[in-house]
Amino acid sequence: MNIIEIENLTYSYPASPSPILKNISLQVEEGDFLAIVGNNGCGKSTFCKTLNGLIPHFIAGEFEGTVKVGGLNTLESDVGTLACKAGYVYQDFENQIVRPTVLDDASYACLNYAMEDYKERGREALSLCGLEGREEDYIWQLSGGQTHLLALAGAVSLRPDILILDEPIAQLDPGHADRIYGVLRELNETYGKTIIVIEHHTEYIADYCKHVMLMRDGGIAWKLPTDQALRRVEELESCNIFPPQVTIAAHQMKQEGRLPKDQPLPTTVEEGKEAFGMLRYQGPAAPEKTGETPGEPVVQFRDVFIAYRSVKGEDRVVFDRLNLEIRRGEKIALIGSNGAGKSTLMKLMVGLLKPGAGDILLDGESITKKRTENLSRKISLVYQNPEEMFIKDSIEADIAYAMQARHVEHYRERAQELLERFRLTELKGRDGRLLSGGQMRRASLAIGIALNPGILLLDEPTANLDIATRREIMGTLSDMKDITETVLIATHDMQLVCQWAQRIVVLCQGRVVADGTRDEIFGNKAVTDMVGIRPPEIFSMGQALHSQALCYTVEEFLQSFQEV
Amino acid sequence: METKMKKKLSENILDKFSIDFLRSQVLKNAYGNDDTVIAGLDPRILLVWYLFLGLVPWFVNNLWFLMACFLLVLVTTLLARVAGLVLLLFGVGVFTQTGYLLIVSFFFGGNASTVIPLLILTLKVATCSLASVTVFSGLDPDKLSNGLMWYGCPERLSFSISYAYRVLPMLMEEFQNILLSYRMRGNPPEHETFVGKVKYLIYQVKVVMHAFYPLMLNTAKRSRTTVEALEIKGYRYAAVNKTVKKMKLATLKVTYNDLLFLAVSFLWISLSLLASTLF
Repeated sequence: MNIIEIENLTYSYPASPSPILKNISLQVEEGDFLAIVGNNGCGKSTFCKTLNGLIPHFIAGEFEGTVKVGGLNTLESDVGTLACKAGYVYQDFENQIVRPTVLDDASYACLNYAMEDYKERGREALSLCGLEGREEDYIWQLSGGQTHLLALAGAVSLRPDILILDEPIAQLDPGHADRIYGVLRELNETYGKTIIVIEHHTEYIADYCKHVMLMRDGGIAWKLPTDQALRRVEELESCNIFPPQVTIAAHQMKQEGRLPKDQPLPTTVEEGKEAFGMLRYQGPAAPEKTGETPGEPVVQFRDVFIAYRSVKGEDRVVFDRLNLEIRRGEKIALIGSNGAGKSTLMKLMVGLLKPGAGDILLDGESITKKRTENLSRKISLVYQNPEEMFIKDSIEADIAYAMQARHVEHYRERAQELLERFRLTELKGRDGRLLSGGQMRRASLAIGIALNPGILLLDEPTANLDIATRREIMGTLSDMKDITETVLIATHDMQLVCQWAQRIVVLCQGRVVADGTRDEIFGNKAVTDMVGIRPPEIFSMGQALHSQALCYTVEEFLQSFQEV
Repeated sequence: METKMKKKLSENILDKFSIDFLRSQVLKNAYGNDDTVIAGLDPRILLVWYLFLGLVPWFVNNLWFLMACFLLVLVTTLLARVAGLVLLLFGVGVFTQTGYLLIVSFFFGGNASTVIPLLILTLKVATCSLASVTVFSGLDPDKLSNGLMWYGCPERLSFSISYAYRVLPMLMEEFQNILLSYRMRGNPPEHETFVGKVKYLIYQVKVVMHAFYPLMLNTAKRSRTTVEALEIKGYRYAAVNKTVKKMKLATLKVTYNDLLFLAVSFLWISLSLLASTLF
């Protein structure tokens, strides 16, 4: 039975000249797990908002065609009725939570719709979403992943047949991401909910989803079963969607004639085992670049202790006697789960937080006595959330601000140079907040290196970006290698780690649990298991074929494995 | 040695009084004391109690009565475990209103005829403020808003109270980060000399004012989602639906503790009235 039936839907936002959704017709079967993929701005989120009636009831505009959800025509029902049919979880889910305690928020919608059993519904939703036992907690006690589960519980509590999630794992570490998808699978398989996700991570699509729908320019290009969909490598890549690395590798082999033409492309590691079964491991592609020997230490943490005040009871200790040394010229990736202390470490280095005990040395001098303002020529931090770096009303003024304040000569010319370098010249008069995700990131990087700091710290530079933008930022980071000496990136993005970093520092519960090259980190199963690191898929593929294989990119994989 | 100590102390105070500190105090004030005796009381009872102690002292000039009221609210404030910052603000407030006059007149030869009226005024101000502190910071915002709703305040007001507490910590964190951006990229005047210090202060005030602009824009950006989410969650339906109101208020319950609290307060005030007629 079809739970969603759409016929000839065309919609344009108020005051917009051209429609954003064009003549869409679609049927979704009950119990489906559907992934929607597509370029930025192709109308994915807008499309999902037509399903729960926000369009056209709350957001006006020109609406044509019919949308039937669970047998109800959205034009003839109100948002409240439709909310009980289709639940929605936003990409910026923390703004969706309006109540201070967990149970309160989960049951809030049921209370508002005057359901007598609202508390039970809230409890039930929480237990479905794996938040049992957290009912009385305050929402700021939850981690990022748990907050997302709470937003999901808030939607589940109305017992809708359909759940729609907009990029559910964009901000989460792999451990939390697996958990979210685990919960979604359970809801789908055991409770028969129809699940629709907007998702860029094709590895997750391959593992969890049943169908994939590609959107292009406001229309639906196709809807296909997952494995067939992911095999359309060229078509996906032309829309800036990157199929799983296993699929890409097989696709390239096929083109080089190394795989038989009629063999279907694998989409998961399991399928890959069969498809690549006849390949033999030839040893590492190229000896790992050791790089130039790192210079003298530039930052040293000595027995650093820091704790945050907590609302109730004991202070939360983040670091207790942390020791770490960063040398000149190193390119370091800092990894660890949400809340392991990555951002705290960075804020300590720029003097925004003062250690409770211990000392931090910058170029051999203690920074605790120095003013933050004086450190910024040597070390600079780019926040995870670029919006918080825009303090002027145009990005040009933002980039120039630090140089202007320090009376740097020719600061105007230098600002122009930076705008040019980061391809922002055409946007220079715009407010940073109004740019797209990738443009915002580039602007924040330009702001970060304006003073030519010797050390650059980047907090999650690729979080919340679609894969295409992520690639672009990774390219920008590689370009920047020659102008910034020492760079430290905190990230969950293992592809970035593998392609870019020379040294990896793993934080877990406020401790450095591992520190070394990528072979030393990813090759050490004890470490990856403890911290919940999910290596790039192609690495797992290599491992599955041969336990000695350590390949981090598709190219390395293709070189390391040859036909007999 | 001593100067070093002093320096350290002054550094510490400045360090403590950061946005981070304010944020933790706001949270502590709102939710950090939900297990106290006061927090367990029914908000309706507490509001009646507050109405009495917040109004009556203004019309009575009996020293015994005022003293008793003051002691009562002092005890309830202690019971409510009010956050330090609020108490500090209270102290500063009372002192700048009338307290300083009382102390000045006491030290500069004031006699009973000047000291007593000032004492009475100070007691009145202090009693009312402490009673407010007990009720508004001892109760968590949700209970308070439910209590207000029971007395017929519009649903929007009570939602605003609890929602304000929900977003305030987020706003403060964001504000803190924006200020940190200014700190990293700005270049404040040197503040070794006295003139430098004044300039530095002016600079800081300016930065705080400038920082509001990005804060507002970021908040506006965030609130798009919140507004849509509220619509989905049926906030607009609930505001006009009588059943929902009833369900919300069904959680309010007058217990044995509430009656005990009223009885003790009543007994204590009566005793003070009795004492004032005896002496």
